[in-house]
Amino acid sequence: MAPGSDRYASRADTAAFLICLVLSLVALALPAGLKEPIAGALRRTVLLPVLAVQRQAVASTAARERLAKVRFERDSLVLETTFLPELRAENDRLRALLGLAGRLGHGFATAEVLHQAGVADGLTLVLSAGSEEGVEQFAPVVAAGGVLGLVRTVDPHSSVALAWTHPDFRASAMVEGTAVYGIVRARRGERSGELMELIGVPYREQLVPGARVVTSGLGEVFPRGIPLGTVQGIMTEATGWERTYVLQPVVHPSETAHVIILSPARAADTLQAAFGATHPAPDSVLLVHDSAGVRIVRPPPPQRRWPRQTAPPLQQTAPTVPPAGAVPQLRR
Amino acid sequence: MRITAPQVRVGLVLALLVAAHFVVRPRLGDPRFAPDFILVALLFLATRVRPMAGTIAGFLVGLVTDAVAPTAFGSAAVALTVVGYLSGWLKAVAFADNLLVNALFVFVAAWARDAIEVLVAHQLQGGALGWQLLALSPLAAASTAAAAAVTLLLFRGWLRQSAA
Repeated sequence: MAPGSDRYASRADTAAFLICLVLSLVALALPAGLKEPIAGALRRTVLLPVLAVQRQAVASTAARERLAKVRFERDSLVLETTFLPELRAENDRLRALLGLAGRLGHGFATAEVLHQAGVADGLTLVLSAGSEEGVEQFAPVVAAGGVLGLVRTVDPHSSVALAWTHPDFRASAMVEGTAVYGIVRARRGERSGELMELIGVPYREQLVPGARVVTSGLGEVFPRGIPLGTVQGIMTEATGWERTYVLQPVVHPSETAHVIILSPARAADTLQAAFGATHPAPDSVLLVHDSAGVRIVRPPPPQRRWPRQTAPPLQQTAPTVPPAGAVPQLRR
Repeated sequence: MRITAPQVRVGLVLALLVAAHFVVRPRLGDPRFAPDFILVALLFLATRVRPMAGTIAGFLVGLVTDAVAPTAFGSAAVALTVVGYLSGWLKAVAFADNLLVNALFVFVAAWARDAIEVLVAHQLQGGALGWQLLALSPLAAASTAAAAAVTLLLFRGWLRQSAA
């Protein structure tokens, strides 16, 4: 960029600037009902080829990373099988096979996150799956660790998700294994990075740091039992009324590359078992694989950490147990 | 209007930058800090054409950028319109064909774009706003400035002012 000639802004330049600025402000002031059709039209036309290119680039990057990971895992497994009992290696392979997608079984689509430049990335995410892949509006978006957000708008081959970091995001939540309910929302910028906060917790309830907070299933958007975060401590308290807790989220939007979009039809399900509950529901079952073979057992009742409350019986959907040796089928 | 060979070369560099945004950028790690090649292309264009063209280009690029973040639709359009206009206008204030000066210009433009966008979108407040403007945006602007400097080094002959 070398120095320019002696061109200063003329009246025409200033007029063009003012017109574009006014148009931008008009776009900003449009109601949501008008913004999204315009944005959707741009995504389906101008942005369609570039998003397709970006999807390919992300997919090839992910493929390289997966290859390196598979090589690493293969090398690690070879090393482990050399020194550890055969059963442990077998368990590791089974755990790798029975990933989250396998545990969910049905009613989901997988997608890549197409990260964009600018400050909006991390608040809203462009996903590489759309209505053609079965994605619907308000579908929950989860990563392997827990909740990432929910689908805001859907196009044929892409969709835009509202991440939990967005100021508009709310999720009905409960402390796992208890009857303590609240609302989770984002709390950005404090401490070192993005945090969540659990608001509306009754004053009589005291949560211990480390307690896991999961979706409650109320509101019929998120299925019950998907992890949101862990309690770090009390943030504020309105004496005699309610407490607000700071949560360490289990998933960060900017660091997520692959997601699972659940079908809204699964909103009534309980997915506690799919996300490795630390306090299994009373009627849940566990798959145990040991020297005696594969069998299904009921876990012992959990120890109550909050003796004044008892967990309501969860409407647990027993996980689909694949036959021994079966490989989970990923649906796209 | 006759298109000259130098203009074609500048156009090629801009096209390469746009392609790099969608092909190279996803491979450069954390998207919060990865360089914004589209912004670099816009600045290279805006400093080579009249402010009117820079303004319109900024507005259109901003509108397309907004399409992937519909909850703040219009904020990137405002930010890039201002940046496009000011870049075209600042060109009149002669600054040297110096790599460091150009990188600094891109850094300031990238940070200003983020600042305008985040303030207009009004989605962040308090500590979150400070964190974005004082930590994340400067890092992203630095990587964008570095990308601009590398592009200038690679295509210095094609991007001279006489080429425009």
